[in-house]
Parts: sequence; C-alpha cells; structure tokens
Amino acid sequence: MITLKNVRKFYGPVEVIKNVDITVEAGEFAVFVGPSGCGKSTLLRMIAGLEGIDEGDLILNGQRINDVPPDKRGIAMVFQSYALYPHMTVAENIGFSLSLKKVPQPEINRQVGEVAEILQLTDYLNRRPGALSGGQRQRVAIGRAIIKKPSLILFDEPLSNLDSALRVQMRAELQRLHRELKATVVYVTHDQVEAMTMADRIVVLNSGVVAQVGEPMELYHRPDNEFVATFIGSPKMNVVPVSISRTGPTTLHLESPIGLTLDLPNADPAVITGAGRLGIRPEHLRLVPAGTGNLDAEVAIVERLGVETYLTVGTPEAPIVVRTDGDINTRPGERVSLSVDTAGCHLFDSTGRVIRPAPTA
Amino acid sequence: MAVPAPGTKPTRRQDLLAYATLSLISIFCAVPFFWVLLTSFDGNAQLFLHWPDQWTLNNDLKVFTHEDGFRWVFNSLFTVGTATVLVMVLAGLGGYALSRSRAWWKLPFLYSILLIRVLPATALIVPLYKILLTLNNFEGNIVRAIIPAFYTPIMHSIGFIDGYLGLILVLTTGQLPLALWIMKTFFDGLPRDYEEAALMDGATMVQRIRRVLIPLALPGLAAAGLFAFMSAWGDFLLPLILLSSPELQTLPLGLFRAFLRINEIDYGLLAALAFIYLLPAVVAFGFARRFLVQTFAGGVKG
Repeated sequence: MITLKNVRKFYGPVEVIKNVDITVEAGEFAVFVGPSGCGKSTLLRMIAGLEGIDEGDLILNGQRINDVPPDKRGIAMVFQSYALYPHMTVAENIGFSLSLKKVPQPEINRQVGEVAEILQLTDYLNRRPGALSGGQRQRVAIGRAIIKKPSLILFDEPLSNLDSALRVQMRAELQRLHRELKATVVYVTHDQVEAMTMADRIVVLNSGVVAQVGEPMELYHRPDNEFVATFIGSPKMNVVPVSISRTGPTTLHLESPIGLTLDLPNADPAVITGAGRLGIRPEHLRLVPAGTGNLDAEVAIVERLGVETYLTVGTPEAPIVVRTDGDINTRPGERVSLSVDTAGCHLFDSTGRVIRPAPTA
Repeated sequence: MAVPAPGTKPTRRQDLLAYATLSLISIFCAVPFFWVLLTSFDGNAQLFLHWPDQWTLNNDLKVFTHEDGFRWVFNSLFTVGTATVLVMVLAGLGGYALSRSRAWWKLPFLYSILLIRVLPATALIVPLYKILLTLNNFEGNIVRAIIPAFYTPIMHSIGFIDGYLGLILVLTTGQLPLALWIMKTFFDGLPRDYEEAALMDGATMVQRIRRVLIPLALPGLAAAGLFAFMSAWGDFLLPLILLSSPELQTLPLGLFRAFLRINEIDYGLLAALAFIYLLPAVVAFGFARRFLVQTFAGGVKG
C-alpha cells in the first residue's frame, strides 16, 4: 500500500504538485491520468525516487520513504522509452539488477528463465533489444521490473510507443500480468481509454491537483467537476452554459443561449439558481420528431462507426455531439430536434464544481 | 556522372564516359600514395614515379638502423597516444557534464572553446612558448635544487619545453574542444532513461559509468579519440617548436630533417619514413571506422 500525504513539489517558484493526497491499496491497479503537463509523470518519478519531494510524506507499506534512495524502495519502474541497454542481450537486460547485487550467475539464469517464461521471451533471451519488435521490447522492460519482485511497479506511459492494435493486446496482457503477479501497480497515462479499461481505481490529475479519485464507472457517472466530466468518456461530454431558475419546490428550469430549454424534475431544493453549466453525455441525447425536443439544431458532421453514428450539431463555436444508431439516415445540413434524458444531466456551478445531488428523474 | 533522365537507361557510351572521368580523378588522387608505396620498396628510388627495378626492404631497414627510427616511432606513439587517452577521458567526463548541466554559462563556454579551436595555432605559438618557458624554468629550478643528478632525464619526461609532458599537454588542449563537442552532442542524444533505469536497478555511480555509460558512449568516444589521434598525429608545428633534443624527435620531425639534409636527398628513405608515418593513422581509422559510422549516422540504436 502506498500513500501520498500533502505532497508538494516546486520547480523554482512554480508549484507543479499541489498538496496531493492519494492512497493506493495493496494489489490495486491504479491509473494516474490527466492531460500533458498535469504533473502525473512528476508524481510517478517522485514515488520512484528520481525526483525529490519538497513537502509532505510518501509512505510505502507503513514506512516513510521520502529519503530512501530509489533502489532501496523496493519499487520497479517501466520507462516510456523502455530504456533497454542496447549493448546487452535480453537476458542481461532482465538480469542486470541481480548481477549488480553480485547474485551468482546460475541463480540469475534461473530467475531470468522464470521471468522469460511468464513473458514468453524464452526464445529471445540471446538477442539484443535492437533485434526485437516493439511489443517484445515492452515485455523485456516489464521483465526487468518484475525480476526484482517489487512491492510496487510503476509504469510511465508504457504503451505510447506501440501501434493501436498492439496497444489493445498489451492492455489485456498487462491486466493478466497484474492478476498473476498480484503486485500493486501505479500506471501513468494521458489516454483516458487506457485508464478506463485497465484501472481498479483512477486518479484524475489537473495542473498538479487531484481532480477526483474513484473507480472508472464512478468517475464516468458521478464526476466531481467539469474537468473530470469532460476528460473521462469518449466522445466528450457536451457542456453548455445555462441560467438556472426555480419553477417549483423541486423543479428547475434551465435555459441556454444556444437555444436549449429544459425542465428538471425532482431537483434537490438546495440547488442554487443563477448562472451555471449543464453537462450531457452524447448518449443522453435522443433524436425526436421535429418541434418536440429540448433543442433544435442543424447537423454539421456525421461520423459513422458502424454500430453507432455520432452527429455533431449546432454551431462550430458550441458543437453538441449526439450518439445515435448506426443505421440512421441523417445528412449534414438537416435540422433535427433533440430531447435530453434528464437522468443523465450534470449541473456545474460557474467554477466548474458539480452541483450535487444532481437531479434524478 | 551523366545522370540519365528518369525511366531511361544510360547508354553504353554515357557509361563509358562517366567511368573514364571518374577513373582519371581517382588516379590523380591516388598517385602520391602510390608513389610512397612504390618508392619505399625501390632500391633505386627517384623523385619520379617508376616501376622499381629491384624490390627491397632496405629503405625501411635504414629508417631503423642508420636513422633513429625506433626512437621516433616511440616518441610519436607515446606523445600522441597519451594525448589521445587524456582527450578521451576528459572529453567523456566533460561532455557528459556539459550535456546534463543546465548552467547558464554552458553555451558561452562551448562556443568559446570552439573559438580556440579555429584560431590558427601558429598565431599563438609565441605566447604559448613564452608561458611554457616560464613554467619550465620554474620547474627546472625546483628539479635542479632537489635532484640535480637526474636533471636532464627528468626534464625530458616532465619538462614543459623539450619534454614529453609539455607536448602532451599542448596536444591534448588542442584536441579537447572538438572532442568535447562530439561527446556533448553524443550524450545529448542519449536519453537519461538509461541512467535512471540503472539507478532504479541499484547501480552505484561507478557501476552506472562502467556498465551503462561507457558502453553506450563507446561510439562517441571512439570518434572523439580517432579525431584527436589523427589530428595530433599529423601535427608538425608543435613538436618542431617544443622539442629540440634529438632523443625526443617524433616521426614528422625525422621526416622533415631527413628532407632538409643538404648533401643528399634519399627518396627511398623519405618514402619509407612517410609510409611508416602513414601506417598508424590508417590502422586507427580501420579500428574506429565502425564506431565513426554509428556516431555520424544517428547514434545508438535502442
């Protein structure tokens, strides 16, 4: 189990990690996700010991390890570039940490053999990294990490150098490996799809701050703020400015400058009124006969994916994405009427914080 | 070469013309080397290129028997070799530091050492000599005071003027700027990930240098070393100015003095000397060629 307590980090006068509190339970697959520059890699390198921690505590299995050197932490790391030594064979690369510890060669060979077995690298042990494919190099990098039997494995965007087909395959393989090794994993990525598909728990980071921590579906259904709401999910959640007014003890009336009007029933009486923002996922919008919906707009773009089709409607400044059936006949230029599923609405205040409890149908 | 229009094959005549032109240029370039090779084995060597009537090794033997050839070869190899090793060590460490450092003076420093490199050594020879002479006199006084009996042999090895040390230091200094640039650029292209991965694996500083950095930097070091060796090996002015004792003469000085002799010009001897002088450079090139190509063709492949 690893805990970060009020951790801060400065580069000169710039605070890059701002009071971060995160706990990753033993055996968990945790994914740190966020846009580039959000501090996720810095955080990972702080856990690894490659970057210092300016304030706060880093606690691994009950022991504060802020000042423990990287190799004494019992943590292994898989680098984005893999960092395989080009002058060593696959076997030498995997066994490097053991050979540094002066472990006898037969013992190194035995352990390298075991690891190679798990990673299906047995046939490649005598090759140099230069003679391997991207996926094989990736596995060697993982092998170099797991041979140390670490209590925590860190992954820094490990799939970003692979093509998309291989990425899907490696995602499955990493999950299998995680189950087999029962190790705690902290995995950094900018790709929310990787986060959603692999994580037991996701930590969303934004400008050095934890935006939200939770299980994938929890973040998807109950985002704490507009940032998480729009970052998680593909295509992105639509967010439009609205003015909120009360029409009854538990009903709200929303009106947006883009022409959307909506009545929310069963709203919490405490919900504030005034300016706010309304978030609706593409799947919570439905095409309805003309004039009967909450919003009438012109279709700008039609993207057909087969099983489903995405329509982008409205003006280029305020596009709204709608998920529809794959076989729909709508063409660009047509006017459509959209109805909003009130159960899927998210309300945010003007600072982007969610207004909760959100109305339920 | 006659470049044919795309899609058409060159005619036989165009081919012939191209090859003839190229051959002519190649022959022109190769003749001096050919002369050196032939003449050094010619018992009756002359200034003009001709096929030897009698093949002999006498010219080469003469270098080592009549002349002090062994001494010259040793002096050259020792001074240039030591300077090369020094350059490689210093450029390896310095290049690494210059690559990883974020100090504000880094770029000004790099440009100023490059400036030193482009200044003609001839222009600096007088002040350089003056400084070395002052150092040498100071050192000489100390040596004379402590162990007067061994003054000459000691000063021949560690003297700044007419001693190995002075020449080695000046040669090293002269070759260091380019080598530093080569190594700095090389380390720039070497991701920090390698070192950090080694750090995570538990490698100490010494282990990181010995087992990761040096093997990774080998192509760069070989290139830097080769350039230093070839350039220092070809240097003529510095040994001419700094060395005067006959027992410290290097190969180019031997060649030069053999050519200057008034009463005779022994072309066979000159060619043999030239051949011997050429050999180490060619051998060094042969060794370092592989690394050179790697260094200039995109660095380490991961």
